Amino acid sequence: MTALTLAGDVLVIAGALVFATAALGLLRFPDAYTRISAVGTAGGLGIVLVITGAFLHRPSVPAAVMVVLAVLLQLTTSAVGSMAIARSALLVRTPLSRLRFSELHDESGAEAEPDGGEPPLEALRLEETIADPGEHSERTG
Amino acid sequence: MTGLDIGILLLVAACLAATVRMLAGPSEADRAIAGDLLLFGVVGLIALVGVRIGSGYTFDIVLVASVVGFLGALSLARALTRGKR
Repeated sequence: MTALTLAGDVLVIAGALVFATAALGLLRFPDAYTRISAVGTAGGLGIVLVITGAFLHRPSVPAAVMVVLAVLLQLTTSAVGSMAIARSALLVRTPLSRLRFSELHDESGAEAEPDGGEPPLEALRLEETIADPGEHSERTG
Repeated sequence: MTGLDIGILLLVAACLAATVRMLAGPSEADRAIAGDLLLFGVVGLIALVGVRIGSGYTFDIVLVASVVGFLGALSLARALTRGKR
């Protein structure tokens, strides 16, 4: 086992552990928004480590070019995709759970309602939201 | 059991967890973000299995799958709002 293969193994296992942590967060978090934060932060990092580690097992120059392109693409676009899903989740009024302290409600940051409620779309002063698809997302877990 | 095998097992476990959340998620955003994790996981599995079997086209497919995965994530976000921006 050469040094490159060993480094590749370490990177692959590290990336797969980051991925497994994202999946664990997806299963265990109480709310859609926290799940999106788990996947959005860990997905991009995990996939970059996995692709780099896999490349170190079989290095070659054409593969190096493609791996550099793929890593740059994933680093710049993975968070964008997850945040687009988070924005859409807010616009269709996905319920928010256990809101204890909300900075979106007013500037003083007073206590919000202790139990789960609607996300504070009015505080964001959006001109229009998509209220119609809310029929399906009114169900809470 | 090389590092590649351990990585493949962990990624398969992550994809199964994402599938469970996609089937059981109470809201549509849960299903969308589980689909996003599945897209990432499939890209990782393509890379690891491709290197494992020694295919020469592994990283071509990884690059294309990355682009398609990003487009899929944006399409899921648009589908959540029923096509409106």
